[in-house]
Amino acid sequence: MAQIMENPRGGCVLAGINSVLGAIDRVCPIYHSGPGCCMQTTASDQGQSGHKSSCFVSSVSIPSSNMLEKEVVFGGVNKLRTTIEGALEIMDADAFFVLTGCTAGIIGDDVTSVTEEFQKQGHEVYPIETPGFVGDSILGYECIWSTFINKVIRTDVPKDDKLVNIFGIIPYHDPFWSGTLEEIDRILSSLGLKVNTFFTKHQSIEDIKNCSAAALNIIINPWIFDGPAKKFEEKFGTPSLRFPGLFTGATDTTEFVRAVAQALDLNSEKVEKVIAYEEDYVYGYLEQAIGALSWKRFAVIGDANAATAYTRYLANDYSFTPVLVIINEPVTKEQDRERITKRIRDLEFAKPPKVLFLTDQYDINEAIRNEEEEITLLIGSTNDREIALEQDIQFLGGTFPINDRLFFNRTYTGYRGSLTFTEDLYDNL
Amino acid sequence: MAEVKYSGVRESHPGRINDLGSTGAKVEQDYRKGCLKRADRSFSQGLQCQQINSMAALMSLEDSVFISHSPQGCVGCSIMAVDMYRVGQAHRGIKKIKNPRLIVTNLDQKSVVFGGETKLREAVELAVKRYSPKLIFIYASCASGIIGDDIDAISSDLQKQYPDTLIVPIHCEGFKSKICASGFDAAFIAINKYILKREKIEKQKGLVNLFAPTTVSYADQKEMERMLKLLGVEVNYIPFYSSLEKIKRIPAAEASTSICKVFADEFMKTLEEDYDIPYSHTVMPIGVRNTDKWYRGIAKVLGKEDEVEEIIEQEHKRIEPLVAKIRQRLEGKRVFICGGTGRSFAAAALIDDFGMELIGLETPTYDDDAQVDIEYLNKIHKNFVVDIANMQPFEQVNLVKKLKPDAFIGVPEWAAKLGIPTTHVLDGKRPTMGYDGLLFLGNKIADQLSNPGFNKKLSKHSRLPYKDSWYEQDPFKFITGGQE
Repeated sequence: MAQIMENPRGGCVLAGINSVLGAIDRVCPIYHSGPGCCMQTTASDQGQSGHKSSCFVSSVSIPSSNMLEKEVVFGGVNKLRTTIEGALEIMDADAFFVLTGCTAGIIGDDVTSVTEEFQKQGHEVYPIETPGFVGDSILGYECIWSTFINKVIRTDVPKDDKLVNIFGIIPYHDPFWSGTLEEIDRILSSLGLKVNTFFTKHQSIEDIKNCSAAALNIIINPWIFDGPAKKFEEKFGTPSLRFPGLFTGATDTTEFVRAVAQALDLNSEKVEKVIAYEEDYVYGYLEQAIGALSWKRFAVIGDANAATAYTRYLANDYSFTPVLVIINEPVTKEQDRERITKRIRDLEFAKPPKVLFLTDQYDINEAIRNEEEEITLLIGSTNDREIALEQDIQFLGGTFPINDRLFFNRTYTGYRGSLTFTEDLYDNL
Repeated sequence: MAEVKYSGVRESHPGRINDLGSTGAKVEQDYRKGCLKRADRSFSQGLQCQQINSMAALMSLEDSVFISHSPQGCVGCSIMAVDMYRVGQAHRGIKKIKNPRLIVTNLDQKSVVFGGETKLREAVELAVKRYSPKLIFIYASCASGIIGDDIDAISSDLQKQYPDTLIVPIHCEGFKSKICASGFDAAFIAINKYILKREKIEKQKGLVNLFAPTTVSYADQKEMERMLKLLGVEVNYIPFYSSLEKIKRIPAAEASTSICKVFADEFMKTLEEDYDIPYSHTVMPIGVRNTDKWYRGIAKVLGKEDEVEEIIEQEHKRIEPLVAKIRQRLEGKRVFICGGTGRSFAAAALIDDFGMELIGLETPTYDDDAQVDIEYLNKIHKNFVVDIANMQPFEQVNLVKKLKPDAFIGVPEWAAKLGIPTTHVLDGKRPTMGYDGLLFLGNKIADQLSNPGFNKKLSKHSRLPYKDSWYEQDPFKFITGGQE
């Protein structure tokens, strides 16, 4: 059951779907929903992820049936039909996806029948029948991949043993998504791999259709995407490697590189050469600013991915003291919680931090307020700045949602991202 | 006596329409002859729903908790008001910046089947337990409306349980209106019904209600207050960045006015009916002419016509040489304007101060208010297109590409990709209003016109999502019905 929540992060299922579609080149969502859903589901994620939004269509440029009282009472399929017709006529898109808003979902409009009419005419119009109220942006991410797996991805593509697919980083729901995917792409490419990030380098619906060629699905996330990954393997035979969280800095990034290399049985000499080069690059900078940052006892509030990356880097590689980590995603399964907690607490030298799972802002604030150990650095979302100001703690906005910073290709992930992260922690206080 | 109460749905206003493609001259005639009928678009892009406006209108109130009785997705746009609230505090010199207290009931599959009453009760209980707020606002949503949750009955019941907190349900279900400004009305109707309750209180001489939406910057607030104080009045600035106490002072005022044309305009009528408070409803104070008009409007209600003329003369002396300088840079430039109801017409008047020529105007609704503005604009500008649309960027880019304006005023995103210099008149963080705001805006337009490199270079690399064939077609081809 969806929980009552103060200051929720992200939007509904439609928001997650819209985030993914918006990050793929030349793909157009069509909303069969009330007026406002286009704006709401763009603002919930794209609008709070460093002010970058999809430039094909987003918010009020997304075609929408804008269901009003008349459609609520008499049904909205006619309005949907003319909306699709108009979209096909004027939008220069390669594929269209019809999203079902709460209104259409509750009154039970048959979206699939309408899209079938257009498919019969040879148009790529796909229905997604999961209405907004079913869940949040994270579910939306899984939901759109299920749609791709069921309806879009080809089964007859020859395998390519150098091709990998990246999953687990939700565009626009992770404020650093594009820089992060670019860094992962850079690292894996240097190992001789071809990388489907799906959302950078103008990747398009064709890349989605052909992604069954991949030799490996790499899920960079400790808990999401189990369902779609299983379906993917059953249907297309591509196995999955789950890496239990994002990685910042030399230690974890190297661990990631070795995990991928092992799964694909890559030439270890070449792999070690890449690792040596990258680690040297990082330490070549770190050694130029020794002691520039004063020692900190830190807390992180964020999604499991970011919290894992930041905590482990600061504790393992930077010798800061971890105190408290709050995972603010709705992780309900015990085995997921255990996996996340284990990864965060399994540190080389530092005493493991407390790990809490709290989605409600009031509970999060109380946890910071009532923490017995001193905290001198807090990394969190823009929503968490309030408690940092109240408690007079140094603050860095580094987890979703972030709406007081502008991001293009910034990332805190990987070898290079760890340098940016460290730069941003400099305080001169 | 049976009374016809305003429902809060802006479409209910006789003659008001939302979908039309026309010209300044034609729409004036057609409206006068009563030829404009309710229309629609067979294809359209997304709109702003009224719930967004209802929330934005109040989210900076102190000691309040805002409960969205909806799925999680319906609070996405609250970030705009949340951001304004946070930045507003920074502008007002507050160091420990707070978040508004926003709780979503998170209606889900189970609620859709069994109703969401339990969740709403729990949310209210949580709000009281955590914050003991003076006010709790409960916002309806499409989902709560369709599944039939009776938020009025639930609120009234909860009110008995929590007598120290005023519980105010707001009927802002998105599907009820195509005009997002209806959401402002829904919020004010609720304020009158649940907070002011038609109870008359002792009048305070010289007190003026100044209604301001979230999108008005602190710089603009200070300018408006400066101007009103010159008339010797005390300003009750509401509801942005105010409190229950300030709302309760509303009936004590001698007069009311609003900064935005579609904000509190219906409410001010109600205040006159219920509390005998006269009001001025003119224009948005953007540009010399509009600022004069707005200023004279409220001065007349206060019986300070002579005083205001003196001040206006002084202000003109101060700013006219500066306006003349800007005018030299902008005279004769052709402009396309797109904006909300208040700002679009205000911007159209503004460009007249600078001697610019209007060639296209996009505004969400047409009604008697718009007719007054169009009559004025038709006297100055001979030939301009009118698109009655709430955004609809596909129509906008089609028009802009055909009309090739020198400057575009409005949301810059799409015109910028066509290489046209753009300026936004909606800037809730910097000056826009009054005599001082005018100079800021004028310089902004002039500087962007004389230094258009960003948009020009962008247009060589960026592409809008429409087929080339769309630009060859009638921009209004998807508008159905409307004219006889």
